[in-house]
Amino acid sequence: MNKTYIWIILFIFTLLSPFAGTVSLDFNTIFEANSLSQRIFLELRLPRILLAFVVGGTLALAGLLFQTLFRNSLMTPFTLGVSGGAVLGAGISIKLGLTLVFGLSAVSLFGFLGAFSTVILLIVLSRYLKKAEQESLLLLGIALSFFYTSALMVIFYLSSFTETATIMRFTMGSLSIVGYKSLLTISIFSALFLTLLYLKRFELQLLSISDEQAALKGVNTKRLTYLFLGVSSLAIGVLVSLTGPIGFIGLIIPHMVRKIYQKPVSTLIFPVFFMGGFFLLACDTLTRLISTGSEIPIGVVTALIGGPFFIYLIIAKQKY
Amino acid sequence: MRVSNLYIAYDKTMILKNINVDIKQHLCILGSNGSGKSTLAKALCGLLPYEGSIQIDNYELFSIPAIERAKKIAYIPSKMESFEQFTTVEEFVLLGRYPYKASFKNYSILDKEIVKEILAELSISNLVSFRLHELSSGQQQLVLIAQALAQKSNILIFDEPTYNLDPKNTTLFVQELKKLRNSFITILITHDIQLASYFNDPVLFLHDKKATLYEKNFFKIEQLSKAYGVNFKENSSFFELDYE
Repeated sequence: MNKTYIWIILFIFTLLSPFAGTVSLDFNTIFEANSLSQRIFLELRLPRILLAFVVGGTLALAGLLFQTLFRNSLMTPFTLGVSGGAVLGAGISIKLGLTLVFGLSAVSLFGFLGAFSTVILLIVLSRYLKKAEQESLLLLGIALSFFYTSALMVIFYLSSFTETATIMRFTMGSLSIVGYKSLLTISIFSALFLTLLYLKRFELQLLSISDEQAALKGVNTKRLTYLFLGVSSLAIGVLVSLTGPIGFIGLIIPHMVRKIYQKPVSTLIFPVFFMGGFFLLACDTLTRLISTGSEIPIGVVTALIGGPFFIYLIIAKQKY
Repeated sequence: MRVSNLYIAYDKTMILKNINVDIKQHLCILGSNGSGKSTLAKALCGLLPYEGSIQIDNYELFSIPAIERAKKIAYIPSKMESFEQFTTVEEFVLLGRYPYKASFKNYSILDKEIVKEILAELSISNLVSFRLHELSSGQQQLVLIAQALAQKSNILIFDEPTYNLDPKNTTLFVQELKKLRNSFITILITHDIQLASYFNDPVLFLHDKKATLYEKNFFKIEQLSKAYGVNFKENSSFFELDYE
């Protein structure tokens, strides 16, 4: 598909986005100070639009990084069990009835710890794998995911009805926020991640061939890989802890951008970030357009679109 | 390049023991399967830890920063691997200029000029905007060489260069290698005795974790039989070896 069309479609959704929702905005009063429309726009819609954009961009970028770094088109922080870790962490904190730890939301903190410790665990476990066995890393991730799911089942089993509902809600992922605090937190880590990837884009391109080739050209591969994994999991950990897991963006977007741009990874950093951002924004707009009464969780929508795409990828065995 | 008392271990097993060789001119590394040829090649590029000494221009290899090392020594793998099939030949060869690139910046116009010259030298200018997956094995080999030449290093290490090539492409490769030998020190690692004997360089033969250096006469049939432990004379109808 022509990339111009894709950008135009996404742009239209972006323009529609502020006006989609259970309360319709009156365009005429939006610029009137303290009108209801303006307050909804500034306090609910705008932060949500920005959040969808930053979250989508960051998830897509993390997918691009993992796919390139491990040279496997199915690798994303989510297929590696990172989101599973976050959900389990959040589940534990809800079950324990924790609300605030050190002044931070307990769900967020535990979610972050779950995601981050999964990455650390994967790094440690991958040291026992031989270099060529990138596939095994994926299997490790899948094994971890199953383990987390089962552990979560145990928590469900032990939980009351309300606790279960709260955990379920978290696992579906959500972009509903009020105000700018969590947006700011996510943005800081996302900006750090984006900057790192952009500055190291040529090193990443060399790593996409092989660790050996990158080392032969003078890249300190070990240090750089750890830096990439550290910063990306920090960003993903913070993000998942605040929004819950929103799957498939990291898988679909890098593939789409590769296919329509047909360029090496060093030139794809910004296109992937923007495409991911606008794509999640479009999905979010869609959920608000079709929702009546209560909203469909965003994670459900991306998974509904992503699932079939994932199957298509496996069957088509596209090699990018 | 001078190698002395070199010991290499991999996964706690000793692979190669006490290797001594002074590489002033071309060298060929031969040996049977699993004798450690590729391990030695990796060590010579600075990819593996080692004991003993590998010196380039009187500097110990591990003390040279990776970027500087890439300017002194280039390695050509036997096969092109890339996750990114959409990379063009120009973009791929440009990666050889990485050691010269300013940090965080894009490749310069000079880098692009150098790539153009190298592609012209190898007579593959026509491939410049081809994507990697559109290339034949022979063309891939030349593109890999182009990338290594872009490093502007003095030493070229070829790891099983003819492994994936048919007879026609092997011949084309040999012609190219012949030209390159005038301006570079080449280290050729191969199974292909025919290829090795054609150039008749000193041979470092790896066997049983040890290395023996044959300055000349390695390709006499008695010597070959002794080194490989196979009687090539009896099998001479199979091994058409007549390079004496």
